[in-house]
Amino acid sequence: MKQLLPGLILLLWASLCSSCSPTPAETSSTIRIRWARDPENLDPLIVDNPSANETINLLHCSLLQASEAARGYTPWLAAAMPTTQALNDSLLLITYQIRPEATWDNGSPVLARDVAFTLKVMNCPGLPIEIAQAHYGVIRDIRLDPQDSRRFTLVCVGQDVGTSGDYAILPEYALDPQGKLRTVSVPELRRQQQPALAAEFARRYQSLELARHPERAPGCGPYRLVKWQNGRSLTLQRKTSWWADKLSAPPAVLQAFPERLTFQVIPDAATATLALRRGELDLYSLMPAGEFARLQQSATDTQRLQFHTIDSYQFLTASFNVRRPALQNRLTRQALTHLFNVPALIQASQQGAAYPSVSLISPRLKPYYNDSLPLPDFNPAQAVQLLQQAGWQRSATGSWLRGTTAQPVLLKLSVSYRAGEPSFETAALQFRAAATALGIPVELRPTEPSLLSRQVRAGETDILINNLSGQPFSYDFTSLLHSSSVGVSNFTGFSNPAADNLIEQLVATQQPARKIILLRRFQRLLAQERPFTVLYFLKYRIAATRRLGHIPVTGLKPGYEAARIRPLPLPVQ
Amino acid sequence: MSRVRVAGFGKRKVLASGWLAGILVAAFLAPTSIPTPDLLHTTQAPFQAGHWLGTDPQGLDVGVSLLQGSRTVVLSSVPAAILTLLLGAVLGSAAGFWRNRALTTVARVAVAVLVAGLGLLFLPQLLAFPLLGSMLLVAAGALMYWPLRRAAWAQRSVAVPLDSLLMGAVNLLDSIPILILVIGVAAMQRPSATGTIALLALTCWTTAARIMRTTTLQIAARPYVEAARMVGLTNFQLLRRHIWPNTWPLLALQLPLTVAALIGLETTLSFLGVGFSPDIPSWGKLLSTVRQAPTAWWLALWPGLALAGTIVSLHSLAGLGANRSDVTK
Repeated sequence: MKQLLPGLILLLWASLCSSCSPTPAETSSTIRIRWARDPENLDPLIVDNPSANETINLLHCSLLQASEAARGYTPWLAAAMPTTQALNDSLLLITYQIRPEATWDNGSPVLARDVAFTLKVMNCPGLPIEIAQAHYGVIRDIRLDPQDSRRFTLVCVGQDVGTSGDYAILPEYALDPQGKLRTVSVPELRRQQQPALAAEFARRYQSLELARHPERAPGCGPYRLVKWQNGRSLTLQRKTSWWADKLSAPPAVLQAFPERLTFQVIPDAATATLALRRGELDLYSLMPAGEFARLQQSATDTQRLQFHTIDSYQFLTASFNVRRPALQNRLTRQALTHLFNVPALIQASQQGAAYPSVSLISPRLKPYYNDSLPLPDFNPAQAVQLLQQAGWQRSATGSWLRGTTAQPVLLKLSVSYRAGEPSFETAALQFRAAATALGIPVELRPTEPSLLSRQVRAGETDILINNLSGQPFSYDFTSLLHSSSVGVSNFTGFSNPAADNLIEQLVATQQPARKIILLRRFQRLLAQERPFTVLYFLKYRIAATRRLGHIPVTGLKPGYEAARIRPLPLPVQ
Repeated sequence: MSRVRVAGFGKRKVLASGWLAGILVAAFLAPTSIPTPDLLHTTQAPFQAGHWLGTDPQGLDVGVSLLQGSRTVVLSSVPAAILTLLLGAVLGSAAGFWRNRALTTVARVAVAVLVAGLGLLFLPQLLAFPLLGSMLLVAAGALMYWPLRRAAWAQRSVAVPLDSLLMGAVNLLDSIPILILVIGVAAMQRPSATGTIALLALTCWTTAARIMRTTTLQIAARPYVEAARMVGLTNFQLLRRHIWPNTWPLLALQLPLTVAALIGLETTLSFLGVGFSPDIPSWGKLLSTVRQAPTAWWLALWPGLALAGTIVSLHSLAGLGANRSDVTK
């Protein structure tokens, strides 16, 4: 006992000291933000999840950036919005000028040839360019201005100016120091006319392993990667001398205040809330409604936290893998849509703070939203009728069968969703109960995020419940629904000539009146085909510590602008 | 004094048996249909019409979940415990009876078993497909056995160090906390319901094996066993007629304790989200919902009571059984 006593006193003293001293979070300029999933891959060519997208936007700069405040795109690396000139009915010339202040980390200027290099990388055979092609395949060529090394013109199919500048510009000096790709043009790479050169570059690019080592392609963004623990955290450090610091009054897109950003991967929503309450997190976006309301009602939490809510362009969907035999028929997909009780789901998982939609266009965008379409209602009887119209017949055992007696197809489904997300689980449970009542067996598959991504890419899911987000300024659905993107970013496998035609027309038109007509027609087609059903549009709910000061919230994902958060100065002791 | 003890004994026995009988009845009465979430009454407090024990954050009735969870307890923990004890009993008895020298075999059999044993390194994959995995293990062993039929060295008789092998495996498994071991295996590849039962059995058999080995060592050294051996009884006859009748009561006493341990382990796994699939309701899963609604005390209280009552009852029965019998006398 005598030996234990000094130890106990020491422990008590240490506890008192630690409880009296401020926590590291209060003294450091690090901002800790919750992520639901790891970025997994930070190769700028393969950005396919929100965490990776957020990181790339902090490491690299694009020519333009989507801005909700501006209701469109704003210049980022570009000195101003580009000028356009129609070359003919299908081609558009878009001329950009890069900011003169923009430099790479080695001090060399960001030039038009870097943009040309980026476009060549995005068209280089042998590289994983499928996603880039789905998004930016409309850019066919680049013409450098011989008089001005920062001026260039893009030759694009279609009229969407935003798409022409919304990709990370890569450093030629780091990825192709000898400038070997300068000898080949974008059209030549597209036509695979220089296979040896392309293959050699692809080999060098792949050997850099940018997926895990993004620091090998240092961007001209304000941050650099200092630490990445897979599945745990990712830390970015602000560059000590970033080129935009030289600007006397930098615009919002070129502001970067936090010295250090640490993104902590916490898939489970309840664990993330606990971490926020314990002071281990500073900012939590997309918080479940129940948790958000509970924190708002807690006197202790309201003293320490600030809360923000904003309408978003993100929506919860149930996507059908149309390649599955049971889901190939659109009537089947329509029937299954009637098994989601959307009003009840909004009430249960969003506490009423969400709004249903007939399509992937937000109802807030009134001109484009097709309000003449009826909202899908919860109607099991209607579902039965549609299943019968689709050729399904109920067997004596109660299950649904279709096809010949030799090779019948059984209507049996699995619902996959990211584990640990309550709103996904609520929707899955509600659907399973409704489907089971009709005799449709449903298996629930809550899955770890990276595994789920692999399964979705491999087309191994039946029904996927997840969040999708869009932008109100670009109506290019090529990557999501065009048949050319099947197996790349079109994870439903939806392929329809009429839809392809409408998507291409939407990209090609810039006239608002025409766009409205096309969008409404497209929504009607989607309502009939139902490659996915939109359950509801979300509100972003953001809780953050008060020490962060004003949080620049936005309806665009991820709901906040991390680089523009300016932590309050600590009070002088 | 003895009357008081007998009365106390009876009361505890009745209470414990009654509780366990209640769990059994609940398991058989539990609805088999998939419950419909009541989305208009999520996280509803208990003692209200429609949901007397409350609802969870998904709108599922806590009472129904408890009933369905009791069926999972009966249909998973009890078979897993029986499997655990059988595995431990067979291995422990064999090690205690044959020890390191008494069991001999030809070398090619030993090689075949060793190769099949190496297949256990792929335990997570095997647990995902138990039947196919077992067939592959047998096939791997057979592939080694068949080509060695002509090799001279493969025909030699070798002693199987059964006792050392068993104690090595026991010490190895006991050196790793069971929870960490099970979570590690389950996290690599989520096992099916059968796979989970097999996983629990394969990681928890060591206690039963130790007990059976020790008891078998004691009984095998007794004079009447020696006499029987001299009379000419085979090893199997010795085990069946003279060893097992004296060792199985110990195993029977171990059953409630093993069931209790496995219920605790399975509940912990479900709480952590690595146990049974979400289609299978369990008390652990119900307990885990309290993380989504920390103020919903009923989500911790009801499954906590069910769990505590069942484990205490099983321990009580095991304790009462131990008082009544001592097989080593």
